[in-house]
Amino acid sequence: MTAKALILAGYGLNCEEETLHAFEYAGLSGEIRHINDLIENPKELDEVQIVAIPGGFSYGDDTGSGNAFAQKMKLALWGPLQKFVARDTLTIGICNGCQVVANLGLVPAFDAKYGQRLVAVTHNLTARYQCRWIDLKVSSNSPWLEGVENMHIPVAHGEGRFMMNEDTLKSLQSNGQIAAQYAKPDGNLADGEFPYNPNGTTNDIAGITDESGKVLALMPHPERGMFNWQRDDYMEMKDKAQREGKELPEAADGISIFQNAARYFEVAKKKSA
Amino acid sequence: MATRIEVLASPEDGRGKTLEKALKSKGKTAAVRVVDVYTSEHEKANTPAFKDSLVNPVTQESDSLPDDFDWALEIGFLPGVTDNVGHTASELLKLAGAENDNECFSSRLYLIKGNLKQSDIEELSQSLSNTLIQRATIKSADEFNADGGMETIIPKVTINTAGNTAADTIELDGLSDEELMEISQKGIKERGPLGLPLVYMKAIQSHYAGKTITDIELETLAQTWSEHCKHTIFASPIDDVKDGLYKHYIKRATKEIREIRGENDICVSVFSDNAGGIIFDDEYLITDKVETHNSPSALDPFGGAITGIVGVNRDCIGFGQGAKPVINRYGFCLADPRTSPEYYRDSAKTNAVLSPETIMKGVIDGVEAGGNQSGIPTPQGFVTFDDRFVGKPLVFVGTIGLIPRTINGKPGHEKCARPGDKIVVAGGRVGRDGIHGATFSSVALDEGSPATAVQIGDPITQKKMSDAIIKEIRDLSLYSAITDNGAGGMSSSIGEMAEGSGGFHVELETVPLKYPGMTPWEIWISESQERMTMAVPPKNTDELIALFAKRGVEATVVGTFTDDGRAKITHADEIIMDMAMDFLHDGNPETPLKTTFTRGGEAEPDLAEPDDYARVLLDMLGRLNICSKEFISTQYDHNVQGTAVMGPLQGPGRVYAEASITRPVLTSEKGVVLSQGLFPRYSDIDTAAMAAAGLDLAVRNAVAAGVDLGQLALLDNFCWCSSDEPERLGQLKRAVETIYEMAVKYQTPFISGKDSMFNDFKGFDKDGKSVKISAPPTLLISSIGVIPNIDKSISLAPKAVGDLVYLLGQTKDELGASEYYDMQGHLGNNVPETDSHANLHLYKLYGRAVRDSLIASAYALGFGGLGTALAKKAIAGQMGMDIDLSAINLRADKALYSESTGRILVTVAPQDKEKFEKCFKNLEALQHIGHITHTDKLNIKNQLQLDVKKLDEAYKAPLRDY
Repeated sequence: MTAKALILAGYGLNCEEETLHAFEYAGLSGEIRHINDLIENPKELDEVQIVAIPGGFSYGDDTGSGNAFAQKMKLALWGPLQKFVARDTLTIGICNGCQVVANLGLVPAFDAKYGQRLVAVTHNLTARYQCRWIDLKVSSNSPWLEGVENMHIPVAHGEGRFMMNEDTLKSLQSNGQIAAQYAKPDGNLADGEFPYNPNGTTNDIAGITDESGKVLALMPHPERGMFNWQRDDYMEMKDKAQREGKELPEAADGISIFQNAARYFEVAKKKSA
Repeated sequence: MATRIEVLASPEDGRGKTLEKALKSKGKTAAVRVVDVYTSEHEKANTPAFKDSLVNPVTQESDSLPDDFDWALEIGFLPGVTDNVGHTASELLKLAGAENDNECFSSRLYLIKGNLKQSDIEELSQSLSNTLIQRATIKSADEFNADGGMETIIPKVTINTAGNTAADTIELDGLSDEELMEISQKGIKERGPLGLPLVYMKAIQSHYAGKTITDIELETLAQTWSEHCKHTIFASPIDDVKDGLYKHYIKRATKEIREIRGENDICVSVFSDNAGGIIFDDEYLITDKVETHNSPSALDPFGGAITGIVGVNRDCIGFGQGAKPVINRYGFCLADPRTSPEYYRDSAKTNAVLSPETIMKGVIDGVEAGGNQSGIPTPQGFVTFDDRFVGKPLVFVGTIGLIPRTINGKPGHEKCARPGDKIVVAGGRVGRDGIHGATFSSVALDEGSPATAVQIGDPITQKKMSDAIIKEIRDLSLYSAITDNGAGGMSSSIGEMAEGSGGFHVELETVPLKYPGMTPWEIWISESQERMTMAVPPKNTDELIALFAKRGVEATVVGTFTDDGRAKITHADEIIMDMAMDFLHDGNPETPLKTTFTRGGEAEPDLAEPDDYARVLLDMLGRLNICSKEFISTQYDHNVQGTAVMGPLQGPGRVYAEASITRPVLTSEKGVVLSQGLFPRYSDIDTAAMAAAGLDLAVRNAVAAGVDLGQLALLDNFCWCSSDEPERLGQLKRAVETIYEMAVKYQTPFISGKDSMFNDFKGFDKDGKSVKISAPPTLLISSIGVIPNIDKSISLAPKAVGDLVYLLGQTKDELGASEYYDMQGHLGNNVPETDSHANLHLYKLYGRAVRDSLIASAYALGFGGLGTALAKKAIAGQMGMDIDLSAINLRADKALYSESTGRILVTVAPQDKEKFEKCFKNLEALQHIGHITHTDKLNIKNQLQLDVKKLDEAYKAPLRDY
């Protein structure tokens, strides 16, 4: 049996279809589940290995991005969710999902204390939505990011700026919970410089994890950069490949996140066997 | 007891910082704190659970405002205006135990510290709010402290009807022409204009001879017979064209093309539905629809544009059994945002026209909010500038949909309400929003109350409804027909659907309302947004309503479709409308139109040859119609759904592109190519040239990007002015004749269209003198095509040093109404004439070159001709070019800036040279004009040499800081 991902939907989340496609392309099974259906049948969380909260605009970002959706989940699903992350499972929040995961306190969850809000993901410093391709420097022990050092994938958000107090930042750093940071194309950190750091986020942070690394909250969109044809430089890559008489491979940086999830459960399965 | 909750954001908040920056740009230094305010009368609002749900403890605090500020400015909504933040807060209030919807309201408070005067704060307030929909309160720190803070305002709608919500009756018998027109112009009991011409009023009078007519009957006729809904100008006999422009030219073009194409016909649903549909592949159709939302956007640019984009999304959801929105388009025709012209709607100069900058920012933000929040990519668009768009901007919005060709064994594009089907309305509730939206004029707007004049879309309410329909309910085949509620509200949607069954009976008291006190006619024609109407077999209604409820969407049975030929409405068991369907839909008398036409233009100017060609090119690149609009593309989510293949910013140099490619089905290799063309200024000389150039560019952009002509369809949007004048109608007729001929020539069918015929501003200038500013007659042609494999797509950026540069197509002495002439204050006479025969030949050859992958990059020449095209290519590729113009037999400035149509600038890899030239060997106008170099310079022999960096700066600087 392959591991199964549940991709949440409803109330303005909107990236569930392409996120499901990414999991399936990586060899996992998955299903889109409306949040109201999950609230009606929370036992489903006991039967799946992965929960993904995809990108979107839940509740229109009103009262703070991801806030209202997190409030709804916390009220109706908190017990089952806690049980879920305590098992050997993987959780990912992408973009709006990242904001929800942060509001739920599934990250940073120091000492595995899930539920406390310590990180805010708030208005871009430009106070404007930014849809652009960025480069990430990745350094993390998260199973989601195994073997990943760099990624060229897009961001698309109006509220992607991580904010927190000094203590939280220090703990994130010392625990290795900063999963991804915005970088310049040359590989050096963006150091706050727009547009490489597209939102003015603290320490160029683009994504963080819980201490186990199994919960990943990531603002950029790996599912929009999983194939080369999705890339901003696809036309140039395609032309180059044609001139060199080569076939352009289909997979691009973003897919590795989903493949890592598949690999994680493959390995787990082998171990238990 | 009302509760007011104040949530103070961190001093580092991006919204506050941006305001500080904006103030700084005006020479004012201030620190701004942002406070999100929520008010409610509900008892649960005063609970910690609710308050906590509104505050992020990491960056926000509640109930503790700082005291070191000098000014407080609060902006909230007027009663009845859509308050999306308030809606979400209301949802949170429900989580905290409240039972009803919409108990919460939002506002925003700015606490400003700095040496600013009251007038500075007033100016800031004006830039942040619109008095038509919002209230603004300013207090100095002293006032704030003396009052103990800001007021707690609950902007609830209260309607004082004195318990009278029945329908009124009117006697038309014996009224004179003047009296009839008074009713038409001022409305029943001066409720707002009906906008019916005298011949229509007289037809109603004689139909109701000896009978009384109710207010709801007359309002229904005004909606149904409005220009907006009936398109009377396109339908009426005009000169000797008895069947009208639409049938005779536009519809006929498509019909003839489909007959000739036979088995290769790509059209499936044309003109009959909310959008047009063509074949995508064996499994799916793609649909397209482009709408305009001009008048509302002039008054409330944000509200007008967001309502426009979510409205056209519903046209997509309402296509056939329901199509999934997969791409959005946008287009704005605006006045120069760097200018501050002064115009007023009234002679007393109290009601000023919004500044071009305010309108530009507002309409851009509106499409941003609507498109982004709906999760629909918006890669495709344009902005065109002309100062005559000052009073009435043109705001185009479009949506492309995807729908299975077969749903449960039935064609996905077919639908028909059947007698006995229940009428079900799903989505938002009905308020006084947008009453008379289909009939309003500028007069009405001064008199109308804010809550009714303008609407603001609510993308999340719509998203919930859209997902429920497209992703779940549609595939259960629970309804026989579906359509959206747009202009005219239920009167339109139900009236149109009932043409399928042959009648309807609506029980108006069943319609869910936002607030009590609305009269029947208001409920019936309200344009409250985010609603779809369905025809549902009685056995399915319970299941359908329950499914919607599970997704947080209200759906209600409001009546029954019948076959008795009557349009019937009851309210609390009383019959308030009972009209023959025939009269409702076909009772409006024909109004034959007459036209005249005079060609415009001036003598060709006798210009000296420029002595500094480099300077001219930099100036041309900086012109608003040519320069980069990157700041729009980066705030529009153009890669949601994971389907973006190409555009809107192309090449390493990020040039704002004219065409985009999307892969709407991730498992199919096919791509959808979108583009458009329009040349409003050409109308000053000849609308035929304007129409031809626009259609040609829409086609050529798509062809250049890789579409075969046989896979291309078109949409027409006419935005005309003064369409009651024979001369304007003559210009219209000429444009329509032209696009008929060209579409048939290119074999590119029209699949959908829309018109907006009175884009005139009537008002007063800064001296109080009466002025009329008419938008130039504008035809937007949008193109949509399918490419078999996205690996055949072609971008505009050159790919490699050493590649050869070719110009395909003839450059003629055609600079009339061009950007080059306009820059020098001339109109000229030689407007580009389109040779569709020669163009067709070129496009067919080009299609072969695409199939053989011989084109490395391509750009279809438009505004600013070859000169700006060369520069854009150099910028896009961040590569130099060596160019020699001697193959073009014109003076160099004319060669560079002529806007002759039918031309494509391409680059070709040297190894493909032979094959490429062989492919085009029968093309007379094949010109090898240079090659791509490693020098980082654009070098045009004998004329200019410019660093690519300099070109880049000239191209990107003008609008960079917006």
